[in-house]
Amino acid sequence: MHKSTRAFSALCCLLALLTFPTFYASAQQTLRWGADPSGGAPYVYTDPSNPDQYIGYEKEMVEALAAAMGRQAEFVPSDWETLVSALQRKSFDVIVNGLEPTGDRAQQIAFSNPYYVFQLQLTVRRDDDRIHSIDDCKKRVVGTLGNTAASRLLQQQNIPFRSYQDPVGAYRDLELKRIDAVVMDVPAEAFYARDNQKLKQAGPPFSRGTYVIGLRKGDDAMKVEVDKAIERIIVDGTLEKILRKWKLWNDAQVEFQTSVKTKTPPAVAFEMTNSSFNWGGAFWRLTQAALVTVLIALGSMIIAVVLGLPLAVGQWNGPRWLRILCTIYVEFFRGTPVLVQLLFLYFGLPVIGIAMPGWLTALVGLGLNYAAYESQVYRAALDAIPKGQWEASYSLGMSPLLAFRRIILPQAFRIALPPMTNDFVSLFKDTSVAFAISVWELATAYRELANASGQFLLLGLTVSLFYLAMSLPMAQVARLLEQRLSSRGIERSDEAEVAA
Amino acid sequence: MIQVTNLRKRFGDNEVLKGINFEVAPQTILGIIGASGSGKTTLLRCLNGLETISDGSVKCSDVQLESGLSTAEYKRRVRALRLKVGTVFQHFYLFPHLSVVGNIIEAPVHVLKTAKKSAETEAFELLESVGMKHAARRYPESLSGGEQQRVAIARALAMHPALLLLDEPTSALDPRRIASLRGLLRGFAEKGHTMIIISHSIGFLGGVSDSLLYMEGGLVVEHGPTDQVLNSPKDPRVKEFIAQAE
Repeated sequence: MHKSTRAFSALCCLLALLTFPTFYASAQQTLRWGADPSGGAPYVYTDPSNPDQYIGYEKEMVEALAAAMGRQAEFVPSDWETLVSALQRKSFDVIVNGLEPTGDRAQQIAFSNPYYVFQLQLTVRRDDDRIHSIDDCKKRVVGTLGNTAASRLLQQQNIPFRSYQDPVGAYRDLELKRIDAVVMDVPAEAFYARDNQKLKQAGPPFSRGTYVIGLRKGDDAMKVEVDKAIERIIVDGTLEKILRKWKLWNDAQVEFQTSVKTKTPPAVAFEMTNSSFNWGGAFWRLTQAALVTVLIALGSMIIAVVLGLPLAVGQWNGPRWLRILCTIYVEFFRGTPVLVQLLFLYFGLPVIGIAMPGWLTALVGLGLNYAAYESQVYRAALDAIPKGQWEASYSLGMSPLLAFRRIILPQAFRIALPPMTNDFVSLFKDTSVAFAISVWELATAYRELANASGQFLLLGLTVSLFYLAMSLPMAQVARLLEQRLSSRGIERSDEAEVAA
Repeated sequence: MIQVTNLRKRFGDNEVLKGINFEVAPQTILGIIGASGSGKTTLLRCLNGLETISDGSVKCSDVQLESGLSTAEYKRRVRALRLKVGTVFQHFYLFPHLSVVGNIIEAPVHVLKTAKKSAETEAFELLESVGMKHAARRYPESLSGGEQQRVAIARALAMHPALLLLDEPTSALDPRRIASLRGLLRGFAEKGHTMIIISHSIGFLGGVSDSLLYMEGGLVVEHGPTDQVLNSPKDPRVKEFIAQAE
């Protein structure tokens, strides 16, 4: 009895403790902050040992900030590429995600004072002896996060680069030799690459920049509050403690925090990466993306058309074992999403030593997928040819192969053409799944350019026009071909009659 | 020209041809008559290798097809036989994606490896002989049934077969066209072609064939010169069939 009473009061205390902050929080205000936790270490990420919790130095910092502001921090998991537009939509109050103050972002959102000075670090494979600094990368492909200071730096210096959505993907592709180097902010590099035995740092950290908190324009009260809180956690040493804990404390921070504490302008000017949105450049990037789209679409079409035929014939008239194999192939590729197939080819195959570049993966993956569909179109078309056509061919002395090639296939092709056209228009649009494996095609281009500029509407229309400009002529060509094939007899016979 | 000996064809337990024997002399026309289900069409399909024979043999010029051969050898001989035997199907089966000339030169060019130019020259001659030269560049779908048949005949003859098989050639024709087909086939026989014509039109066969063969129940009931079979049949079943037809 005594024991259970004690347990009961302990429970009450616990409940009170648990509910009190929530009550208090709803009485006081919240600070809703947005960041991308996927591959987001050490900023904010899922705690591997406790997967329903987020950890990270920025999470701890936001909690310190919120405490200084008398608010309750509330994390809103989001997506890096769409952080700015989500902030504008009021999905949260502030962006705290290692955000760099850039010119184009400044047009869309406001910034707090800086809280951290970052540098960039170039990483290469351990056995690489060609690349020692970013200047050695002029003719190499460098991976980085999309829409970051690093990506802008590469763009300004005309270094070919590939954008990734998280550091893990970039470093893995570096290991797989899909790219030659990776540029990443030092915190991410320290977390994801420094202990990797297959990689090494190329040169010292370079190019300083600052992280700031992103705010809605016009939300001036919030800016004042946030700036005050940043100053406070710097002055009282809270931030230093957090950064030390996360091994992010370095000379750059010492300089920066000293300047804040002494209210003197920083001895070192912090470079502010800037890239204002330029429509000419965007158009050129879109054209490149369109070419990649066309390349992938045409390449996979060729694979689908060529591979579809043996599949169809095997399933249609092959020996039992071949029919079964072809059916398994067809059902496998039709029954699983093409996106999953691409991810498997891109991330799964390297495990057994086959690492294809992204565009080739997309081309092969879509080709294999659509071959399954084409085979069914062919099979139906072959079935539609009357048996008498075979018999007439045989009785003229043709071999089965000759009869198939000269008599059956051309007729089946006519029947198959309209559904094939259909498939190819949709294949063309399906190339957009390649964005899942960081291929610079139109959908990826739209996402990245629109996120960089905020021009979702105009760029969206432009990209749609690009797709239409390519798919409409294709549909037209197919229609003409169909017409030519299906009405050839009638047209020609009219000519003949006129001539006679 | 063609010699059929004890030919049997079974589909599972169903024996359709029960031992057929006959011969066709060169440059003559044999007409085969009989009710539906008598085995006429199956016989024709055995003669051009579209059906595998179950027993007996078919010999055309120097090619002999017989049961009991290995599959590979049988296939080889079927190919050889088909070069000797041309077929005009009941429904013609012209190739719809090829023009009339294309239909005719297809096999000579791709099977016999004749030069395209000379194959075309010959195709035009053949088309002229069947009265279809004007339609050389047209496509089958724009032709009438009778015209398609003439093209099918020209297509078969372009392979220089030793024997030409025609399956129910009158089924798609009106009376006027039947008369002109008779003239055409007679003309070919006089030029030296050998033919087997399957039909249930006694009137047509009477005017065109040199000899007649009456089939019933998978057997040859009567086989003799056309006049004799038509005017004084020995078997009462033939007599009855002729009487019904008239």
